[in-house]
Amino acid sequence: MKRFFMVFFILCFLIPSVSLGAPKGKLIIAQAVDLTSLDPARHHTQGEFNYDNAVFDRLYLFDVQGNSVPRLAVSHRIVNDTTWEFKLRKGVKFHNGDPFTAADVKFTIERILDPKTKAPFAANFRHIKEVNIIDDYTLQMVTEKPDPILIKRFAAGATTSILPSKYIKEKGEDPFLRHPIGTGPFQFVEWVRNDRLVLEAYEGYWAGSPLVKTVVIRPIPEDATRIAELQTGGVDIAVNIPPFLVNQVKAMPGVEVQSVPSGRVIFLYLNTLAPGPLQDKRVRQALNYAVDKKSIIEKILMGSGFQMAINLTPYHFGYDPSLQPYPYDPEKAKKLLAEAGHRDLKLVFNTPSGRYIMDKQVSEAIAGMFEKVGVKIDFKVREWGDYTKDLVTKKLVDIGFIGWGNVNYDADGTFFVYFIKDAAFSYYEDPEMKSWIIEARHALDEKKRKDLYTKISKKVFEEAPLVFLYQQQDHWGVSKKVKNFQARGDENFYLYRVGVEK
Amino acid sequence: MGGYLLRRLYHSFIVILGITLIIFIITHMIGDPVVLLLSPEATQADRDELQRQLGLDRSLPLQYIVFIKDAVRGDFGVSFRHQRPALELVLQHLPATLELTLAAMVLSVLISLPLGILASMKPGSLLDRTGMTFALFGQSAPVFWIGIMFILLFGVKLRWFPISGRGGIENLVMPAMTLALFSTAAQTRLTRSSMLDVLDKDFIRTARSKGLHEFKVILKHAFKNALIPIITIVALQFGMMLSGAVITETIFAWPGVGRLAVNAIYNRDYPVIQAAVFVTSLFFIFINLLVDLIYTKIDPRITYR
Repeated sequence: MKRFFMVFFILCFLIPSVSLGAPKGKLIIAQAVDLTSLDPARHHTQGEFNYDNAVFDRLYLFDVQGNSVPRLAVSHRIVNDTTWEFKLRKGVKFHNGDPFTAADVKFTIERILDPKTKAPFAANFRHIKEVNIIDDYTLQMVTEKPDPILIKRFAAGATTSILPSKYIKEKGEDPFLRHPIGTGPFQFVEWVRNDRLVLEAYEGYWAGSPLVKTVVIRPIPEDATRIAELQTGGVDIAVNIPPFLVNQVKAMPGVEVQSVPSGRVIFLYLNTLAPGPLQDKRVRQALNYAVDKKSIIEKILMGSGFQMAINLTPYHFGYDPSLQPYPYDPEKAKKLLAEAGHRDLKLVFNTPSGRYIMDKQVSEAIAGMFEKVGVKIDFKVREWGDYTKDLVTKKLVDIGFIGWGNVNYDADGTFFVYFIKDAAFSYYEDPEMKSWIIEARHALDEKKRKDLYTKISKKVFEEAPLVFLYQQQDHWGVSKKVKNFQARGDENFYLYRVGVEK
Repeated sequence: MGGYLLRRLYHSFIVILGITLIIFIITHMIGDPVVLLLSPEATQADRDELQRQLGLDRSLPLQYIVFIKDAVRGDFGVSFRHQRPALELVLQHLPATLELTLAAMVLSVLISLPLGILASMKPGSLLDRTGMTFALFGQSAPVFWIGIMFILLFGVKLRWFPISGRGGIENLVMPAMTLALFSTAAQTRLTRSSMLDVLDKDFIRTARSKGLHEFKVILKHAFKNALIPIITIVALQFGMMLSGAVITETIFAWPGVGRLAVNAIYNRDYPVIQAAVFVTSLFFIFINLLVDLIYTKIDPRITYR
């Protein structure tokens, strides 16, 4: 294993020297949404994180499999249960030439935690009590309670992109936000709202100069338009190709489709907090048996999905491969419902429309399957903002279609959010399961955590607090002129190693 | 005349106030910006804090009063999402929308008026029937479908025009055609029927019997008298295009106010919604006033007191 790593590292150093030479060419990427600001701390959507990934760097990143890889940090040491020490990378410079030091990390984290910043993801870092600078390249963080996923939080959190403390303190926030600088592989050039973001290679990047000279990121909301641009060479990479257009894109000359299992899972909420039949485990299991996941994936998603046993994917730490999805068994569903004594069950089924791939169509199909086993459905298509307000304020009635992209690549990011009553999205709680989730959340021993998550997973499957559906498959359209691009399950793209041929 | 203008100004003020109130109530009743803005790990305390910072913890009537007080000074507040003043965002997106709308308007007038007049000259002729079929098609085809068809034909197949984004005049062609189609159709039909009405009148027969050239009869005598309803519908269509450009802007990734406003509605970004509605209403009201004034120039019988 050690030898493998040695070879790997040597290769890593070799690759840049092979492709030496000034960055060249222009890479145009079409995504569905635009940024709302140039401030990483305030970012909220994937379209914004992709800008963060290009212009900035952070302590850790995930590789394609979901392992955290040190970037601006080089190593860490656990001093005691609540104190982490990080060694930082030396020789890294911001785009204006200022050196990167521990002060920048402290500044970035404290800025996120400052309520004035209104950082959407502040809650994910609020337990960091202190950030102490030991020297320019050593830093300690003190957390309230032990946090085994601290590093994963940084790897997942584009909002923790490291900002230039000296520059911002000298020039002020506003000038920085008009012309941001970071330590990332690309420098900011220009942003025209809802039109284009232009970036240029930063040849002084600590890991070597990027291969592409200019990157343009364009927001093109309409799928058909994005694909037409890809076909005519107007853009080189198009994100979010919907399943029903994949074959059309595959047929285009000079374009390939990269398909990758997504970190996003799709399932149905069941409100088990409100008194009613959904508090009966047999009813919840019956609903799981009633859904024909296979034909939904084949017929509605054109094959772009993978059946799920629970709401965790193989990407996630704590995933239990021994669990098999609930089979489609309408007879068993009817039997369970009869046992539970619910003859004339009538439930409300809420679904968003256009938020997730084919959401409304899938919901309609499932509602039909529920009716088949004797559950009457009152079907409601909801506007997203209206629907989420209900969800978070615990006012959801009965059943709701939802997707969840847990980008921490850790079971905590799913179980804590969905199976503890106080969390924003939870409609289920079980005292024993809760105690396990909390224990795993604060255990630094990996083996212990893994065992706990296996236990929790089995119980989640048995208790069926949700109707488990599928893991999405994402499709990216990529021009054959683009080299080294790799689609990822977390929807991020990193352009540092990507080249383009003209 | 001066008194009339003052009265109109006063009415406009009431209209805008009414619009802002309706928008305010609708947007605040459904959904919650704070829920859409925060991480799933956020607690109720986090949500309360952000609510307080955004001033959403106050009662609705109080929020509205504060909004009006600031709005009078031209301050619509800071966008929850974009962290910039809402009016600044709208004004940034306005040139793109105006460019598109004006282009579509000019295009539709240039096509519809001649087409309508020609059709009215020989009702039932081949030209008339072709024109009316085109008009029926233009009014019934969904903008969305038309836009995509234009992209496939002119962008992908023929490669005459760039597919999306704003840039030179070549970028403007397809979005402007898409946006113009519906109003072109409506205006063609109205021009035709309005002309047919007038051509039946006695004074036209008089003009013809005087031996005037048919060209002069049509343009000078008939068209001028048919103009009032045409101008009305052109102005109405302009207003509709201004607010209805959303779909066209989305298809062609055009960076206009429509896309900004729709995203603001999805995200419950109240300041941006209000600023966008305010600016659009101002245009609507101004155009209406302009049309009323134009009437007096065309038809001396119309006066305002």
